[in-house]
Amino acid sequence: MISPELKKVILEQLNLDDFDIQDETIAPQVPGWDSLNHINIILAVEKHFGVKFKSIELLRLKCVGELQKLVDSKLGK
Amino acid sequence: MFNINTQSLLDLLKYNPSDPLIFSTSLFLFIFLIFLVFYNLFGKNKMVRLGLLIVFSLYFYYKSAGYYAGILVISAAVNFLFARFISSTEKPLLKRLNLLLAIILNIGILGYFKYTNFILQVITEINKGQFEPLSIFLPIGISFYTFKSLNYVFDVYLETMEPTRSFRDFCVYVFFFPNILAGPIDRASDFIPQINQDLYLTKEDLGKATFLIIAGLFKKVVIADYISLNFVDRIFDFPLRYTGIENLLAIYGYSLQIYCDFSGYTDMAIGIALFLGFKLMDNFNSPFKATSIADFWRRWHISLSKWLLDYLFKPLQFSIRSLRIFANIIALFITFVVCGIWHGAGWNFIIWGALHGFMMSFALLIQKPKQKLYKMLRIADTKFLKFFQIIITFHLVTFSFLIFRAPDMQVIKDAITQIKDFFHAEVFIQFAEKMPIILGLMVIGYILHFMPVKIEIGFRKFITALPWYGQAILLVVVIWIASQFKSADIAPFIYFQF
Repeated sequence: MISPELKKVILEQLNLDDFDIQDETIAPQVPGWDSLNHINIILAVEKHFGVKFKSIELLRLKCVGELQKLVDSKLGK
Repeated sequence: MFNINTQSLLDLLKYNPSDPLIFSTSLFLFIFLIFLVFYNLFGKNKMVRLGLLIVFSLYFYYKSAGYYAGILVISAAVNFLFARFISSTEKPLLKRLNLLLAIILNIGILGYFKYTNFILQVITEINKGQFEPLSIFLPIGISFYTFKSLNYVFDVYLETMEPTRSFRDFCVYVFFFPNILAGPIDRASDFIPQINQDLYLTKEDLGKATFLIIAGLFKKVVIADYISLNFVDRIFDFPLRYTGIENLLAIYGYSLQIYCDFSGYTDMAIGIALFLGFKLMDNFNSPFKATSIADFWRRWHISLSKWLLDYLFKPLQFSIRSLRIFANIIALFITFVVCGIWHGAGWNFIIWGALHGFMMSFALLIQKPKQKLYKMLRIADTKFLKFFQIIITFHLVTFSFLIFRAPDMQVIKDAITQIKDFFHAEVFIQFAEKMPIILGLMVIGYILHFMPVKIEIGFRKFITALPWYGQAILLVVVIWIASQFKSADIAPFIYFQF
């Protein structure tokens, strides 16, 4: 389940008012979330949650649900 | 008499460096049909069927690369073992060390065969010496199968796929003849799970395979080979002998030629693979309909651009992400220079790649003001804007292909000089009169490319609806047409004098 907080950070970066983001949602399905914009979203998530990801962890991500899990694991949830 | 025939048949089946076994040759068609019969006869016996596929694939590669096929086998064995080591150890350092060794070995082999002479030439030129090239044979398809094997090792390292326990399955993946010479650079994670599935083709699969082979043959043999041999090559050999209009037509012709040549070949590869029960990834999606250079790379040689995106661009981008937009720019530039180098050892490829890196970076830098301007002019998301974006992108790509094609900078300079100073638009009439087939093929080629996708889907559905013998007849007709174009005498080229 994607937390409202993570969803808000992603939508803010993409200048979207709303978009249905689910666990299995992948970047190309969300308007504006391309490989170049990806970096801004990652930086925003790191800043917002006060976490730091390793490159290999980012390379393993396949969908938003996995990003949520990664954030949770960094926050010790 | 019989002995002579046996001998010539044996010679035909042997490796011949000047005669690789490409899909559009009658020899391939002949032996592929025999193979297909046996492949289907043993359709239910997986062991025999896959064994046949490995042997045929190795023969196919041997026919094009001779005993250098041995490198392919060694490369497969080594990469299989590297992936196994990586997955079997829990220690991150050992995993990383194995990955590093795999990269060094794969890129080392590729580099030795493909780039040694170029590097030596550059060093010699810097030292102002006389360059004597070493006699190094370039095994055909080495760039493709090296990248194919590497994506398996990378995915196992990233734990985004389970390594296969079967060396046989890995050999089927690496040796698979439809995509070994020119791609698509298929993903192990997509391909390997298909190996153990039952051989079963739906009517749609069969229709799609027939459609792709027909489309591929037409694009490769009828359009690309014909306009290349009879027009484009001749202009680029001596641009100064021709007027600006002829040079311009050759530049447009070359864009069409390279697209039809490459996408035609991969269409055939995907179609042939489908006949064998394997679905390969798409490699082209009407690339000249792109509205930006970034969009072009989502449509052109998709399997390579996705490979570079996943295994080069993203790792670079993530590792320097604190630089924000400059992380993207640096990663883009490096990725596209590597993309250029991958295509061949030559300054033209490096400059071509760097130009694409520059265009992508520039577009990124002006993205926000550009969007503001579109909104201010009220043309954002309009058909009007899209039309101009397509025209501009097409011309940027076409200009970049001129660099890609030119053996040296002088040819580019000459072609541009002729267009600028010696255009002579009126020569077009003579060109149309003297070379109607070339002009006709170019017009047909571009119309087919720019037509709406629904027409293509409609044609595919029409083929799918045909009974098997209808599809076979259609295929034979296209093969016959292709053979007519192939065996046609080179059209006399009219040298327009002024």
